[in-house]
Amino acid sequence: MGRLNNSHLIEAAVWLAIVAIFFGFSFEFNQRIEIYEFGATGWPRVVLLLLLLATAGNLYFQYHHGSDVQEGRVGISESSDNDADYSNRSTLYKMLAVLFTPFIFAWLLKPVGIYFGAPFFIALIIWLFGERRIKAILITTLVIYFIFLALFVVILNAPLPQGNMSPFYDYSGWILKMNTNIQELW
Amino acid sequence: MIENFLAGSSALFGDPTTIAIFVFGVVGGMLFGAIPGVSMLTLAAILLPFTAELTAAQGVMLFAVIYCTGTYGGAITAILFNIPGAPENAPTAFDGYPMTLQGKSGKAVGAAVLCSAIGGVASALIMMAATEPLAKWAIRNIGPPEIFALVFFGLAVASSVGARTIWKGWMSVLLGLIIATIGQDPVGGINRYNFGFTDLAAGIAFVPAILGFFAVSEIFVQAEKKAGGTYTAPKVSMSFPTIVELWLHKVAVLRSILVGFFCGILPGIGATLAAFMGYGEAVRWSRNKEEFGKGKLEGVISSETANNAATGAAMIPLLALGLPGGALTAMMVAVFQMHDLEPGPLVFYNSPELIWVVFAAMFYANLSILFIGLIETKTILNLLKIPFQFLAPLILLLATIGAYISRGLVLDVMVMFIAGILGFILRRTGFSIPGIVLGLILGKIGEQNFAQGMQMVHYDIATYFSRPICALLIVAGALTLAAGIYRAFVPAKQKSAS
Repeated sequence: MGRLNNSHLIEAAVWLAIVAIFFGFSFEFNQRIEIYEFGATGWPRVVLLLLLLATAGNLYFQYHHGSDVQEGRVGISESSDNDADYSNRSTLYKMLAVLFTPFIFAWLLKPVGIYFGAPFFIALIIWLFGERRIKAILITTLVIYFIFLALFVVILNAPLPQGNMSPFYDYSGWILKMNTNIQELW
Repeated sequence: MIENFLAGSSALFGDPTTIAIFVFGVVGGMLFGAIPGVSMLTLAAILLPFTAELTAAQGVMLFAVIYCTGTYGGAITAILFNIPGAPENAPTAFDGYPMTLQGKSGKAVGAAVLCSAIGGVASALIMMAATEPLAKWAIRNIGPPEIFALVFFGLAVASSVGARTIWKGWMSVLLGLIIATIGQDPVGGINRYNFGFTDLAAGIAFVPAILGFFAVSEIFVQAEKKAGGTYTAPKVSMSFPTIVELWLHKVAVLRSILVGFFCGILPGIGATLAAFMGYGEAVRWSRNKEEFGKGKLEGVISSETANNAATGAAMIPLLALGLPGGALTAMMVAVFQMHDLEPGPLVFYNSPELIWVVFAAMFYANLSILFIGLIETKTILNLLKIPFQFLAPLILLLATIGAYISRGLVLDVMVMFIAGILGFILRRTGFSIPGIVLGLILGKIGEQNFAQGMQMVHYDIATYFSRPICALLIVAGALTLAAGIYRAFVPAKQKSAS
């Protein structure tokens, strides 16, 4: 096994799975193009072949050097050296919440809209980042929300998701009506 | 040239509306570039419909000014938060962010201000003096094989920086290339990898992917540090680089101007590759290669000079050939079309006043980076004093808006957050985020030019080596690749021998 450990093997398996999945799906568009000999699959399959070779090279390097940094590399992200302790369940749950809260917010944008969802999202992120003073959370949430409304709604009139469910849609409509009233003042 | 420049300047400063648009572009580009989570592209996407109300000269000038100042503004977030405002600022973060962690943020931002201005002004001057001859040279000597070769060289350079090993560098770049194949193929328009989502037929949009990989993943990295108790707030420093320090880097500045201008002049390449090449060349010619990536001022200087040097050059293929070099220049084509104009050789004869207003505006916008940049730097550095738990939701909310606004799709916001999670995991395991992004940006360009090149030479790849520029770039790329692989294998052999 050399200096290989389980995480190296999992990493290699994930990359091989990416290659396999993309190669498998390439048969769905394996059509001839009259004016181009290599067709629509030529380029992606060459890229996948190179990815397979690079994965093998990476595994070979890890077999000899484990997780060491190769000599002469520049610009390596410092975050890779700052692993948190995931054996601590609280750290794990906190990180899972941080990773998935934005995704859930994105998923709710269509039904709820950004105007209603944003303050809850802002407050939740501040809380997940460790702030526990209720007053600080409320004030910062309001400040960020008003910056967002002033810049993107009042000044730039940016088209943003309004939601498609009542009462969220009605709330977005109310915000936009307020904006129209403000614009008319000018 | 001087007469035309003066005529352009008087047209620019002789009309109060045009002055107001110029000032709005300068301040807006800097501001949107410097706010983490949004970028100059967000501002440009919002403003695009409003340009129909402006004259053609005002509309194109506004976008050109945003391009110049936004390219500089993105360096601020790259240096202070490790969140490049645009892909062209990614190499700036390699050394800029370590400098911030070492309490040298003032030096890094000061160098970015000065070098962005120098690169931009030099590029604007060359552009004004030589757009037509350079465009003619490019038409004669640069074809799809050369562009493909430059993409290959650029990807080889990108693979050599930012990841723990050459293998992980290439895996990052190749992942970007495979993501770029999602959507229609550039030759036959056949749908690839849409996995049943009709919205994916148009491919993965750059803006959400870039925001996810850079901004969102950085938020997650900082969250991990907070959760693990290893977070330390960056130190604020107001010490600017001295004249002597900057003078010592004159060769790096000159080299980056040349590299940046060359990359910018090539259709479809733009400032992103220029910044990577500028940084890569600085590493290549340095005697202290091991200092790069650990907070070396030359790293910031090289990438910031190169990306701004590319802004002026990118106008040459746009104006002379009608070929945009990136997302923002592509929006400029839309501005032209809104006013029933087509960018290309005829625009020099049909609308010379438009061309010279744009050239003059770009020159003054780059100069204003120096003055406004130096004034605002101290204010911007105070952003570091805001506790990260208050900055993170602002960045995430702005990124959500930035991702949504370009196409009006919630799918893009989801793509951004998926890219954020993916970027976070890949960064933890030593892969290169800038490498993935460069692969994503250059993937379609590379494939399209490879296909056109192969059709051109009747599938005889040897013909590529009979074209001097193409051969030179392929050999340079191959040598960069070979050097990385050699370094990966030699220590292993030495160890097994001992």
